[in-house]
Amino acid sequence: MNGPVRRVSVGVFAGFFALLLAVTWIQVIRADSLRADPRNSRPALSERGKERGLIVAIDGTVLAQSVPDPEDERSFVREYPEGEPFAHVVGYNSFLVGSSGLENAFADELRSRRDLTISDLVAVILGRDLRPESLELTINSDLQRAAYQGLNGLQGGIVAVDPKTGAVLASVSSPSYDPNTLLGADAAAIWEGLLADPNGPLLDRATREIYPPGSTFKTVVTAAALDTGTAVPETVFPDPEEFQLPGSTATISNAGGGVCNNGESITLLRAFIVSCNTTFADLSVQVGAEDVGISAEGMGFNADIPFPWTVPEAVYPVDVLAADPAALAQSGIGERDVRAAPLHMAMVAAAVANDGMTPTPYLVNRIFDADGNTVEAFQPGILSQAMDPATAAILNDMMQQVVGEGTGQGAAISGYAVAGKTGTSMGRDGFPNPWFIGFAPAEDPTIAIAVFFEGGEELGENVSGGGVAAPLAGDLMELWLEGSP
Amino acid sequence: MTRNTEGALIVAASVLAAFGVTLVNFAQDRSLDAQTALTFLVFLIAFGGLHLAVRAFAPKATPLLLAPVTALTALGFFQIYRLDLAMGTDRASFQRWWILIAATLASLTLLVFKGTTISILRRYRNITLLISLALILLPNLPTDWGFPLRGLSVNGSRLWVLLDVGFTSFQFQPAELAKLGLVAYVAGYLADHQRALREARRRMGPIAFPEPRQLIPLLVTWGISVLILISQRDLGASLLLFVGFVLLLYAATGTTGYLVAGGFMGLVAGVASYLAFDHVQRRVIAWVAPFEHYENEGFQIAQGLFALGTGSLSGAGPGLGRPDLIPNASTDFIFAAVGEELGFAGTVSVIALFAVTVAVGLGIAFRSRDTFRKLFAAGLSFVLAVQTILIIGGIVRLVPLTGITLPFMSYGGSALVGNMILVALLLRISHEEAP
Repeated sequence: MNGPVRRVSVGVFAGFFALLLAVTWIQVIRADSLRADPRNSRPALSERGKERGLIVAIDGTVLAQSVPDPEDERSFVREYPEGEPFAHVVGYNSFLVGSSGLENAFADELRSRRDLTISDLVAVILGRDLRPESLELTINSDLQRAAYQGLNGLQGGIVAVDPKTGAVLASVSSPSYDPNTLLGADAAAIWEGLLADPNGPLLDRATREIYPPGSTFKTVVTAAALDTGTAVPETVFPDPEEFQLPGSTATISNAGGGVCNNGESITLLRAFIVSCNTTFADLSVQVGAEDVGISAEGMGFNADIPFPWTVPEAVYPVDVLAADPAALAQSGIGERDVRAAPLHMAMVAAAVANDGMTPTPYLVNRIFDADGNTVEAFQPGILSQAMDPATAAILNDMMQQVVGEGTGQGAAISGYAVAGKTGTSMGRDGFPNPWFIGFAPAEDPTIAIAVFFEGGEELGENVSGGGVAAPLAGDLMELWLEGSP
Repeated sequence: MTRNTEGALIVAASVLAAFGVTLVNFAQDRSLDAQTALTFLVFLIAFGGLHLAVRAFAPKATPLLLAPVTALTALGFFQIYRLDLAMGTDRASFQRWWILIAATLASLTLLVFKGTTISILRRYRNITLLISLALILLPNLPTDWGFPLRGLSVNGSRLWVLLDVGFTSFQFQPAELAKLGLVAYVAGYLADHQRALREARRRMGPIAFPEPRQLIPLLVTWGISVLILISQRDLGASLLLFVGFVLLLYAATGTTGYLVAGGFMGLVAGVASYLAFDHVQRRVIAWVAPFEHYENEGFQIAQGLFALGTGSLSGAGPGLGRPDLIPNASTDFIFAAVGEELGFAGTVSVIALFAVTVAVGLGIAFRSRDTFRKLFAAGLSFVLAVQTILIIGGIVRLVPLTGITLPFMSYGGSALVGNMILVALLLRISHEEAP
């Protein structure tokens, strides 16, 4: 009779073995995804009250810190001393509404390791530092604050980078919110309010929203034309009032109507300086979708940009445009299917400024431990060689003339050569979106910038990139040039 | 291993319980308080007392059984205490009383059999059966009559009786005791009819099928299981009873046909109850797709998986997780709560301790020469194993959740009493069968 008992026993222990396999599956193999499930509130709850690392600007300004809770000395509360201007970059870490920004992207570095878990115990025995690590950003706090004030509560985004390194000097979205309000017990209600706000204060218009870039995209088309030899600045184009879209009855006209030059002919240089739409619709079709695409992709379009959070891809749909010449013409002036965030357009400006090499943008300069020692330093990198150095030199010169005598005069800074390109794209409900991209000093650039306003009722119908965005870009670059060591 | 080692391990497990309570206190920013000493003393008195009772009444019993049982009770107790702090309940002090009561009753069980032998259960098995059936049916007493003994529904299952003795009242799940009586009855019946059952069979290829007449006991048990399922809406007890019985029937006869027939009948009852009862349907939905039904049916299982996954390898640490987010954490889901705070290390330990306990029980069955004692020990071990695998398997989604308690660990007095007496019976059999 022991035979059958033994066989049942084998079955029973097979059952126990199955339990072991199942807990291995859940607690070892699937543990990370179960832990990260947005419906699992445990990670955020366990962070509550614990000390987190600092987030500081490159100039030492504290952007996020943990201070002892006045009501409970063993516990910490998070503070964001600089508030709104830094909200979209720094983010928040709230036990009620989750986390965002760098607080979310570097959660593992910023968190305290002082749990009583076995792995923390092992870390103690090995003599590792349990105190949270801190972040030093590439952001310059003066420039960041000035950029936020410059947007003046209107909807828009600004990104400034060091064109040689890709270090992000400012990344601002407006309107913003005070992340400190999301830490209290009423955080959920406040968050719901922000979510429902028609001005979209939670949206990051600098790096996480994409818009038609308008005429600033002519920079990319020109780079492609010069690189492929399709045209040189002196190449002469017709100067009609309207450009007939190939295979369509629709037309493209110029800003304000009329011709760009004399109604007879116009050089590419002149067309760039006055931002002539008909010329660039024509040029875009001549260069072709493939070659414009190569230039655009060299400057970061159609690709994931490595960044602390997921940046939506800037769009230049090569295959669609190759099959549709009418759309290709419209894309030549940054409309129709072309989309980019201010971050992408700052990279376009940086590529021209940096002899045609697009720098990889980065936001965190280094991670340091509680004693200030660097744990990890981020190295500047090059994303790609987007254009010939010679092309970059010609474009640099053309862009200087835009600021010198063309649509970008508002960006001029006395004592410095400034290069730039304006844009005014079709935005929400037909309202214009003013754009400006540029860099300075033109001969040895230390800052490249993209300024974007999202069109709407408040901004009105009679705004342009040259009128609104260029002066703000000029002020910010001047602040940088005067203030930088 | 000697009796002295057993004593030392019981002291160690009592320290474990007290240490767990202390760690929870520290983690929750409470200072060292009376809970630590109280827990240590209760474990020492309860299990130390039982250890002494074994020395006195069943000195030749295996020394391997009490230590893992004490450790499991300790792991469960610290988690019950921890959940109290989070939920504002006071279950730990009740559980401490129940640990004392259960150990006392287990000691008394040993004392009762001291002057006689466990085989009296075989002789009076019909009485055992009647008492067990009466116990099972007790919760179906009316809730609102004048008699002090009343039935009670909790969470839709009618498993409880309430004994109102005027100044206070007790709640009890009589099925936990009936479980032991039924195993005793079945073991006795099979021991008496074993030869007839074994020989009366026909072969169909490799599978031996019993004579139709010999299927009657199987049908009767199946009927009782279905009755429990319908009248008390208790999927767990019903399944436990039926699976335990089929396994024992097979163990006694070696007739594979009983497994086939039992599996078929279980399948029929399962499909029928799925079609007939929405509470069974909800359990299946939660089993198949807990995350897709997160807001309702799947919530408890999803929270259990979140707890286990967040616990990961080493766990959040005693008192540092959030097991209170799991519904019924201190009863049905205590395994997930332990897994959150003690991690994979904790869950593997729990499963290993159960496996050791069951292995010791089966070892007693293997070494028994007397047929009844062999079957009784095997049956008790099967019931313990099946119950453990069903509830843990329900939490880790191997099987649908059946809503039974985890032996020794879950909060609940009746289960603790039932399982401690189960341990006492195994110890007694081990003593009687000792060489």
